[in-house]
Amino acid sequence: MKTRQGASIRKLGLFLGCTLCLHAQTPVALGTAGSFGVLAASTVTNTGPTVVSGNLGVSPGSAVTGFPPGTVTGTIYTLVGSLAGTAQNDLTAAYLDAQGRACPGPALPGDIGGKVFLPGVYCNATSVGITGTVTLNGNGDPNAVFIFQIGSTLTTAASNSNVNLVGGAQASNVFWQVGSSATLGTNTIFNGIILAQSSITLTTGAVFNGRALARTGAVTLDSNLMTNPNTSPPASVPAPPSLILVMAGLAVATLYLNRERLLARFRRT
Amino acid sequence: MTRTRQAYIVLTAAALVLCYASTLRGMFEQWSIDDDMSHGFVVPIVALWIVWRERGRWQALPAKPSWWGLAFLAAGAGMQILAVFGGGLFAASVAFLVSVAGAVLYLGGFVFLRAWAFPFLLALFMLPKLAIVYSQVTFPLQILASRIAAAMLGAVGVAVVREGNILDVAGHRVSVQEACNGFRYLLTLGFVAVVYAYLADSKPWMRFALLAVVAPIAIFANALRVAVSGLVPALDTGTPHAVAGYLVFVLCVAILILMRGLFHTVYARYHA
Repeated sequence: MKTRQGASIRKLGLFLGCTLCLHAQTPVALGTAGSFGVLAASTVTNTGPTVVSGNLGVSPGSAVTGFPPGTVTGTIYTLVGSLAGTAQNDLTAAYLDAQGRACPGPALPGDIGGKVFLPGVYCNATSVGITGTVTLNGNGDPNAVFIFQIGSTLTTAASNSNVNLVGGAQASNVFWQVGSSATLGTNTIFNGIILAQSSITLTTGAVFNGRALARTGAVTLDSNLMTNPNTSPPASVPAPPSLILVMAGLAVATLYLNRERLLARFRRT
Repeated sequence: MTRTRQAYIVLTAAALVLCYASTLRGMFEQWSIDDDMSHGFVVPIVALWIVWRERGRWQALPAKPSWWGLAFLAAGAGMQILAVFGGGLFAASVAFLVSVAGAVLYLGGFVFLRAWAFPFLLALFMLPKLAIVYSQVTFPLQILASRIAAAMLGAVGVAVVREGNILDVAGHRVSVQEACNGFRYLLTLGFVAVVYAYLADSKPWMRFALLAVVAPIAIFANALRVAVSGLVPALDTGTPHAVAGYLVFVLCVAILILMRGLFHTVYARYHA
């Protein structure tokens, strides 16, 4: 009886906490790190036919192995002087921003599988696991922001673990700030941007719609599909219609060819 | 020119327009809906203006009708039939030009075809895009424009990230789509270069020389346009974007004018 009451009180606390943390958050600014699908400090190691959308970077290290057979749609940057170095600086700022957001509590349970979260900031000073499906509900707002502050590790259970986005929630607005390391179990389907203090491991077949950004450690991949989280579409920059271009070009050429006549007329007046 | 001859010319022109009415309508429609090809409206006007401008020269030529004209007309008709059976608008448009050349040959002979060779070559600019070629070049051109634009921004110390055909300049993302690939600059600048060379210089080789420098100028100018759009978010859409596009094109024409001056100076020094 007591146990049931305790569980009910915990659920109520979690609900109230969620309600309290429903104040609108702004997304964590990633800066140049936002162009990286994978960013590590020491090494990026891959096994199998992984696909990484976006750039892949290592800084201050330089070791990238397993590409090919893995493929990167963007560019591979390594060492401090490269874009990866700038991105690491931006990652540090983003990590501290995510970590510093006020968390109204209560603390997340150790396993958030089966839970539904509304937009807001959630925290757990130790470790968080996901077994089964955790649902993030944007409540109809495509700009809804979710920030998870995890003091130690984030681990998803092997097979069938899933971060499910509903109600307009977008992976580009879901931030997982991990104080130590993140490990996605086999065949996990994960949404969001992982900002890990140490390392990130995607085990076999994990599908990741987001970015794996590690500050001080490695990123390890194994036959994963990594896609860019939805962001606002880039602006298309078409050239003006050729009719107007030709007319402008011919006008300039004609003016140039008749410049002396025109200047003479101008001087006369 | 006798009245009979004039009647022949009018009848032949009318027959050509009648036979190729669907092709001409197709070309007109493409110029109307495709911003890459809208300069097509200007091309026949300029070509006819050049024919009129040169009238003193070709009116003095003796007409020497050639039976080769019939061969050209037959070839044009064959191409038109092929176009109807799946060759598409490009083949039909080429068939029209071949037939016009055939008519000129049949009524005036090779001397007239030679006298009007330049307007005929100019008319090539109004042909529709050859889809098989366009689809092959468009993506490489997009990537090339993206690469050069990223290099330009990098060269002036702006941090830019390129993901394929997308540039990310400090969070401002621009995408080099099909319509941004530089093909439009390439075609239009080519046309302007040839017309300018014709007006500014009596040396026929100058037209080819300027045409040769069009590709690098157009590709770099288009990349500059993309780079500017990436660097200044206000210039990536609407009127400011269009104005930036025109200004960059005018810059291209200015470079063409300089190049012609350079070629002329080198030629004059070599021949002095």
